[in-house]
Amino acid sequence: MAFAEAVGPRRFLTELPALGGALIIWSLFAILAGPAFMGAQGAAAYLNAAAPLGIIAVVVSLLMIGGEFDLSVGSTIGLCGMALMLLVGQAGWPFWAALPVIFALAGAVGFINGWLVVKTGLPSFLVTLAMLFVGRGLTIAGTRRLAGRTQLGGLGVRDGSLAHTLFGSDLPGGLHVTTAWWIGLVIIAGWCLQRSRFGNWVFAVGGHADAARNAGVPVARVKITLFMATAMAAALVALLQAVRYDGADALRGEAMEFRAIVAVVIGGTLLTGGYGTVLGAALGALIFGMVQQGIVLTGTDADWFQVLLGVLLLVAVLANHSLRKRLLGTA
Amino acid sequence: MKPPILEARELSVGYGAVRALERVSIDLHAGSVTCVMGENGAGKSTLIRVLSGVIQPTAGQLLLDGGAVRFADPRAARKAGVVTVYQDLALVPLLSVWRNFVLGAEPLRGRWLQRLDVAAARAAAEAQLAHFEIRVDVNRPVARLSGGERQAVAIARAVHTGARVLILDEPTAALAVAQADRVLTTIAAVRDRGVAVLLVTHNPQHAVRAADRLVVLKHGRLAAEMGAASIGINELTELMSQ
Amino acid sequence: MTRISSVSKHSPMNRRILMVGAALGILASACTSEAQPTDERAGIRIAVVTHGQSADPFWSVVANGVRDAAADLGVRADYQAPTRFDPIEMSQRIEAIIAAKPSGLVVSIPDAAALSAVIKRAVAAGIPVISINSGADVAASLGVLVHVGQSEYEAGVAAGERMAAAGAQHALCVNQEIGNAGLDQRCRGFGDALARAGKTSKVLGVELANPDDARQRIAGAFRADPGLDAMLTLGPTGAEPALGALQQLDSARSIRFATFDLSPRVLEAVRDGRMLFAVDQQQYLQGYLPIVLLTKYVETLALPGGGKVIATGPGFVTRETAARVIDLSARGIR
Repeated sequence: MAFAEAVGPRRFLTELPALGGALIIWSLFAILAGPAFMGAQGAAAYLNAAAPLGIIAVVVSLLMIGGEFDLSVGSTIGLCGMALMLLVGQAGWPFWAALPVIFALAGAVGFINGWLVVKTGLPSFLVTLAMLFVGRGLTIAGTRRLAGRTQLGGLGVRDGSLAHTLFGSDLPGGLHVTTAWWIGLVIIAGWCLQRSRFGNWVFAVGGHADAARNAGVPVARVKITLFMATAMAAALVALLQAVRYDGADALRGEAMEFRAIVAVVIGGTLLTGGYGTVLGAALGALIFGMVQQGIVLTGTDADWFQVLLGVLLLVAVLANHSLRKRLLGTA
Repeated sequence: MKPPILEARELSVGYGAVRALERVSIDLHAGSVTCVMGENGAGKSTLIRVLSGVIQPTAGQLLLDGGAVRFADPRAARKAGVVTVYQDLALVPLLSVWRNFVLGAEPLRGRWLQRLDVAAARAAAEAQLAHFEIRVDVNRPVARLSGGERQAVAIARAVHTGARVLILDEPTAALAVAQADRVLTTIAAVRDRGVAVLLVTHNPQHAVRAADRLVVLKHGRLAAEMGAASIGINELTELMSQ
Repeated sequence: MTRISSVSKHSPMNRRILMVGAALGILASACTSEAQPTDERAGIRIAVVTHGQSADPFWSVVANGVRDAAADLGVRADYQAPTRFDPIEMSQRIEAIIAAKPSGLVVSIPDAAALSAVIKRAVAAGIPVISINSGADVAASLGVLVHVGQSEYEAGVAAGERMAAAGAQHALCVNQEIGNAGLDQRCRGFGDALARAGKTSKVLGVELANPDDARQRIAGAFRADPGLDAMLTLGPTGAEPALGALQQLDSARSIRFATFDLSPRVLEAVRDGRMLFAVDQQQYLQGYLPIVLLTKYVETLALPGGGKVIATGPGFVTRETAARVIDLSARGIR
């Protein structure tokens, strides 16, 4: 971690403000919601809620450190989920035959996003916003045409089968297997960012694309790879949710793009790119899950969820702003 | 005297009717600093862009080690050992010094899973910086360095990545005296290692101090060329303002 | 509390009986609320999780029903809903609620595949569960005690029959909540009833969150298909943009227009004759009744409905009844 390496022992405080945030949020709801929140069942409830967002946020953090946004990630979840249901549920494909198709579809979406951003030089914010509409529209119109409905159930993955064990089973303690995927991705993405050549390129591309290009970094390839990884993460979430909830609807993943950005920013990644951590993004998703489930457990009107989230985001953005100034030595 | 590493013969670049560069010839020798001076629009940037492969000359040719060569793009130039350091485009501010140092040429280890050799990268950065007597903490983000330190690091980095010909675009512009001084010291150290340096600057004082040879461009043409020892600052200033 | 024997949800007669029973239930609860709530009552905590977006006026009436029942009975009831249609987030919230072990759980089931696992878990954890609004067809199989609501398909059929009787030839069904199976069923019932009468229909999807866009799309659909002479919207969030869309159209073109569910603007439109009728599932009862039923179940283990559907609708608000319903609606209870 570029900055933290200089900080040494104070590393966690400076580098992972999200860790402090997570502890504060946990304590808050431990007091407000009591034992139901603190117990193992409560923990499983917020971890399970955080996991799908966490999977997306972890990969989106790489993309944002690389200086780009992807607003289409939510619609890609809907697209891939529906494609899976159409292939398996409607067309009768074997589950395992449909998997490569789903990931190839996601890869294509990511490639188009990345290629358009790199070729046109337009802000990825706009390019992927357009892709959001295209993806969501295609999903709704396509399934209605092919299946006559917008909600398809009956994936038919049997309990105990390999597919169910991998994507839809529960771990001890009531944790969804989704949480294992999440943790696995945190480790892989964190390693990639900190300890691989690609990770160094991601930091450089997001921090100063021209300097990276001058140093011989293949900027376009890095960005396109990041967009493809993001879309693949969306496909993974679509798959996990389709198996667990035995089906998909055309609106799956709605607003996931914004939630992922919120989680990543709460996790301490700069909106301007070039700086951030994978672990922070995972903690951002955890905070998200704790707030969502904690508010349910206090019995407060769920609309307060958004208020609290907005406040958290604002605090995180302000903290990141001063972090950036400190990093750049302009504070 | 040995033949130049990089030689430009009668380079011309024209944008439509505008002649940005008109039959300019220049030799860059190992262990020698050639300073290019001139007003804005005199053709300095165009010359750099041709030498570093960003644009192609409309006439004339480049010779590398005596053989004709054509740089299709900056990557090709870099591969041939011709490295250009632009003032604000050389380093990534938020990235640490060592990560910047190895950027684009990261040392890797492991056969099955190729990973960044962090220890080697840090050691390389530290060794190279020490060689040029640049004392900075390699773990700091570049943004936290002073302007002079940043230029010095960028220059050391270019040499580390294998520069035989180093093209520096206004490395001392916007720097305070002490900072500029440290950059000029680094340039001298690089030259002493046998690198051919082409230094573009506005500042006659810096030019006279750093250069072995001076070249003045005016309206895209070579207006004067001389040994640095043969000219004083006042004469040079006068020559430029004519 | 009145016990009601098992009835078929398809018989209008039995439905009426159920509704009478429901009304008695309210009466009973109103009586009990005269007395001071006992300590046991105060300890009763019921969680309500629906799929209704917070901004939807339909669901605020349900929430009012929940709140009023809790106040009348002296129990605690917490109403929860995601801010957008999202069965997975519902499922996550229910998971949290199971951890809190409430006295009872009320859920809507808009997506049986997504919600069945978590509802079964709640049942297995010993929490009495009542479903409301959507999910009549799956409630019993999940271990839900009773469903309070209307059969969406049947209600769609009833709307289609009325529309055909009013002379519609070619109708548009506007779906504002793509992905909600209940709404898909309404459209299907509507289309089937029209088809049986020899008429035609088609479906248009619009976005609930974007009324301006919905209005443009509806107006566009009518311009593109001059044969359309009738429209059914599936809720006030579809009906209100649709009213705007009809104003944009050529005034000479008369469109027979009806909607599911009520809102102040829908009622005004019915009263003024701009709409033929509004299908009313009387959702206040979907909020109110389950709180009564669960409170009584906790106290006495007694439960009406026999594991079937307690029907709160369809009722029809027409030009004749609109004015009175407007008064009630202003109080947020119709």
